Amino acid sequence: MGPKDWEDDPLQNADYAKYPFLNDVSEFIRRSHFDFEEFDRPEMKDIVDEAAKRIEIEVDGKVYPDLDRFQKEVWTFLASLMMVKSLGIESIIRKYALFEAMRAENFLADDLKKIKDQNKIHLLLLKVFEELFKVKIKADHDDMRFYKVHVTDYLKRSSHFHEQEWKLINRMVNDGYVFLDAEETVRLFRNELSALIYDRVKAMSIASLPTSIKVKVEELRNSLAPRYEYRTYAVTEYPPCVKHALEVMGRGENLPHSARVMLATYMLAIGKQTDEVVELFKNAPDFNEKITRYQVEHLAGTKGSRVKYSVPSCEKLRNENLCFATEDCAGIINPVQFGRWKRQ
Amino acid sequence: MEKAVTENRNLEVVRAAFREYYFRQSKMIEIPEGIEKREFGYMPFGQGMVRHISFKGPGEVLAALVREVPSDVYCSNAYYRFPNLPMQEKQWLGADLIFDIDGKDLDLPCVPSHSYPVCSNCGHVSAPSESSDYTCPSCAGKKAEWVSIPCAKCIDGSKKEAKKLIDFLTEDLGIQRSAIRLYFSGNNGFHFHIDDESYRMLDSQARSDLVGYLSGIGLMAESIGVRKSPGGDLAYVKFPKSGLAYGWRKKIADRLKIDNTSTIRLTHLVQQKGGFSAFQSEIDAIARQAGVRIDPQVTTDVHRIFRMPGTLNSKSGLVKKRCELDSIDSFEPFSEACLLGDSRVQVQMKTHVRFKLKGESFNISKESAELPAFAAVYLLCKGLAQVA
Repeated sequence: MGPKDWEDDPLQNADYAKYPFLNDVSEFIRRSHFDFEEFDRPEMKDIVDEAAKRIEIEVDGKVYPDLDRFQKEVWTFLASLMMVKSLGIESIIRKYALFEAMRAENFLADDLKKIKDQNKIHLLLLKVFEELFKVKIKADHDDMRFYKVHVTDYLKRSSHFHEQEWKLINRMVNDGYVFLDAEETVRLFRNELSALIYDRVKAMSIASLPTSIKVKVEELRNSLAPRYEYRTYAVTEYPPCVKHALEVMGRGENLPHSARVMLATYMLAIGKQTDEVVELFKNAPDFNEKITRYQVEHLAGTKGSRVKYSVPSCEKLRNENLCFATEDCAGIINPVQFGRWKRQ
Repeated sequence: MEKAVTENRNLEVVRAAFREYYFRQSKMIEIPEGIEKREFGYMPFGQGMVRHISFKGPGEVLAALVREVPSDVYCSNAYYRFPNLPMQEKQWLGADLIFDIDGKDLDLPCVPSHSYPVCSNCGHVSAPSESSDYTCPSCAGKKAEWVSIPCAKCIDGSKKEAKKLIDFLTEDLGIQRSAIRLYFSGNNGFHFHIDDESYRMLDSQARSDLVGYLSGIGLMAESIGVRKSPGGDLAYVKFPKSGLAYGWRKKIADRLKIDNTSTIRLTHLVQQKGGFSAFQSEIDAIARQAGVRIDPQVTTDVHRIFRMPGTLNSKSGLVKKRCELDSIDSFEPFSEACLLGDSRVQVQMKTHVRFKLKGESFNISKESAELPAFAAVYLLCKGLAQVA
């Protein structure tokens, strides 16, 4: 039995199997009164093994491609959520959520390209985008290859992408809508889908873990955890923009506010303490320890809005004439990435 | 000492005219929607900004204007849960989309002919000059502030940009004409307020992308089908599958006289320009030309307090006045936004000036003149005259 078992429903179990995070699937699980202990039954062994394999592949940075029948997919997804939750390693949860999102993204782009039945497309758009993300997406009736996303729904998401091609000006825009092909449409929602899956993991409450899952979790912990031991990099070399700011400071010259923000957020990002960062500004001609400390604490997110400010992007620094890029900056989009390639 | 006394008398005259306006013409003040969620701010004459103020209703706003008689009045485009608390505690609930078109950013050729250098040291005013070098004839100071008396060409330039923006907003962004409120800024430009809820929740970054779109910044040659060949500066043409029918692609295609039925003309154009990079520069230039000159800071700032409609602008004594979209061509800001009284004021001129207000032409070459208040205030606000 699936979440929808009436014959004329355009979406069938085979469709739902690809999207186990949909509200209808959660409802199906709830109604089936499934008990977690059932994972210990011998016929569930395959599912538990599959779930562990899926996590390993995803943590390796690959999309898990296999797709089984509905029931198996649903229980595998549930088992994998439980395992990731029990592992409790933040980086693994994030990676799992991202690659689960990308897996669904592949299926969805494929469905949006291949399904010819308008009702079915409509329902899929409704179930995924409207129910999960409260965004209405329309099929372009003039050209079946395209989907219409409202300009504001587009901007809210695309403005966080770095690639120039996602800038609104490089899109086909008409009458309040951005026209995207199937891949672009689903790509636009990757972060949200990943966040949704992340939240599902976080929100899960497991009173007691079935033995079969517990065993797998320990196996996964042994094989995966060493990779995630806390690694500290000693930053031996600062990026040229930061170096420049430090030199100006060192000479006791005035540094523009935006350069100070860059310097402070960079130092905080590489793990320096507030005191150390405040110390850097001592040479500034207008140094006032109280004010500087307040501002650094603000940037660190320990005061004020409680939001930790990120280091301005290379693009932003270029626009503010604070970029002094050298060859070593090739391929980075934010000063914090400087030198990472070399270290690896 | 004497200078300070004159300054005070100038302010008093301007303030009296402003007081009369806020007292008699309160129906001109447009109270914004959602007043209790907005932050208000004002500048008392000769003092710094007072902000983080909130009002419960229109009556409170009007009473405050008559009581305080500020030089300038502002209201946030943002909505807050607690508009009168410090910024971090306000709790942002969204912000109207706003645009600012300023005549001084349009690099119009007429500007030097009506810009008066005012010496930063002694305040001496000289006649307009084409030269950018400045030496004060009175104190030999080298620094000056340039005060412009916008002319009809300046206003036409701003109107042209405003019309371009209206086209972008209605055609590309699908914003209803009824949702666009257009105002003369009260000095030398236009302000747009957009009443469309779907834009309210956009953050600063999303608004910045929108500014890029409207200004024509960052258009890639690829989006009209010109792609860089691997290695070298060669290019080949492959039209995007979504075509060239709308938006920027259409604007560029129309200007280059190309369509996506044949790649021949575009390929030829790229070769003529001398390769991919040169063609990209050409696209950049065309897009900047076709884009709208809006102030990016105003649109991307989601915590701004913006001049309140119906209030006076202390740079001119003119009102931030509504202009209907359909009558933009016939709109005459120097008559329609000039709403101060006409009691007589005796002023001493700092230079010879020509201007037109309320349909009346003024050409003042004498050292002193008796002018109607609206004209006297205009010159006092510009710093081109002082109270006799």
